[in-house]
Amino acid sequence: MTEEDTTTSPRNRFARSILREKIPVSRWVTNRILGLGAINFYLFALLTITGTLLMVYYVPSTTQAYNDIKDLGTTVSFGSIVRNMHRWSAFLMIISGFLHMSRVFFTAEYREPREFNWLVGLFLFLMILGMAYTGYTLPWDQKSYWGLTIMSQILEAIPGIGSKLQYLVLGGTEVGQNTLTRSFVMHVKLLPLLMSMLMAVHFWRIWKDDHITLTFAGEDHTESPNQLEQPSVTWRYILTRETSKFLLVLLFVLVFSILFNAPLEEQANPMVTPDPVKAPWFFVGLQEVLSWGAPFWTGIVAPLLAIVAVAVIPYFDHGREGIGVWFHPSRRLSNVLFTAAVTIFIGLIIVGEFMRGPGWIFYWPWQHWSVN
Amino acid sequence: MFIDQTSRRNFINRLGWGVFLSTIGGIMVASIRLLAPNVLYELPKEFKVGYPKDYPEGVHFIPARRIFVLRENNRFRAVSAVCTHLGCTMRWSEQDLAWKCPCHGSVFNEKGGVIKGPATRPLPWYDISVSLDGQLLVDLNKDVSPDHSVVVNV
Ligand code: FES
Repeated sequence: MTEEDTTTSPRNRFARSILREKIPVSRWVTNRILGLGAINFYLFALLTITGTLLMVYYVPSTTQAYNDIKDLGTTVSFGSIVRNMHRWSAFLMIISGFLHMSRVFFTAEYREPREFNWLVGLFLFLMILGMAYTGYTLPWDQKSYWGLTIMSQILEAIPGIGSKLQYLVLGGTEVGQNTLTRSFVMHVKLLPLLMSMLMAVHFWRIWKDDHITLTFAGEDHTESPNQLEQPSVTWRYILTRETSKFLLVLLFVLVFSILFNAPLEEQANPMVTPDPVKAPWFFVGLQEVLSWGAPFWTGIVAPLLAIVAVAVIPYFDHGREGIGVWFHPSRRLSNVLFTAAVTIFIGLIIVGEFMRGPGWIFYWPWQHWSVN
Repeated sequence: MFIDQTSRRNFINRLGWGVFLSTIGGIMVASIRLLAPNVLYELPKEFKVGYPKDYPEGVHFIPARRIFVLRENNRFRAVSAVCTHLGCTMRWSEQDLAWKCPCHGSVFNEKGGVIKGPATRPLPWYDISVSLDGQLLVDLNKDVSPDHSVVVNV
């Protein structure tokens, strides 16, 4: 066979044209070293797969759910590793989602024309939290039960429709089987479906916004970090890079899951609230805020204000300087404010998690409190 | 003739939209209504809590129904064990003569009044009476004042 023969055979033509050809991609893609957004996507895939495996055994019943989770940890082959992977990927996704948003903020990449995608991203992040929350309710242990109780009482504090909404969410007047079923439906169907759709929009906007910025740069002839470069990388390079990244994420979660077991508290018991009862770590900051006053202000107004504040950032910041640059000097004030807000959030979590003892009384981390 | 045709087309157009919107709207309303159950398999709101003679002096937690039954001499009273802040089950502290909530630290005095937030509303007291068979009968549907009690000579 001659050279010509191999290069014109259909298979090679495919390889040449698709995989080896240099393609023009914007620096937004080629320069992504961390690629936290992609990592989020891989974690979503991992969660879907492990979640599907868990569903084979799990029955969302108040009498059976707890034992199913126990069984997964004891009698099912590799059950505990799969459950651990599901849990640790979820935690990782909260963290990498948060880091992804911080990265976008610190490099000012939420600015026009990407405001809309910032909003989509924010909703995706809230849905990650929603998934984590509903996921917490499914084992039907004490954390599940009391988490649901507190959440439903917060809903009731919404003026006007509060108690009606609470009735719908609980499926009755108290936390019970209907509540668990509803939580389950949200966790395995509604939220994943919405998230997949929003993710598609998110990815599409990345591509679309790149082209819009290219047009901008072409119009005013300014050097913009957003412009598409000369063809520089091949699909093969991108695929190799991303597959390796996926493998790294997978290995990390796998090793972590072999080493550390996901906890399970005592079975849900409406008669006894553990003292202290702590929300899952990503909500313990909210629990701390809840301890300050009326649920209407601390459980509804405060979180809503925080969400709205994040959502409107791109609509207030019309600067054009420092896009795509980490910690650009012209953005010192915004960066300081953002860092302060994040510090407060993390501080609330630390106070709630490590400095609150029985009766939600303040303790320094080195002070001991007896569990009763 | 021409006018007739446009107005007919207009009419059909509107009819189409009307049918479309009312169908979708109706289905949505029905779907939301479906989420609110009409029959609840929850515990009854009126129930018996045993014989007065089985209660010594003091505050007694009835776990299954999340209430406290109090006895002072021959007077019996019933109060909710559910924190009015966000619904956690409270514990009675004999030391401080107060109910304490483990979730966000609310404290209630012997009368059910808030000593320490974040709770704002006092604990509800429930109607208590003696049923025909001599057992104490609590009715969660009836809120009463903290002094409401039933006197039983035991
Ligand atoms: S539920 Fe009792 S203090 Fe919040």
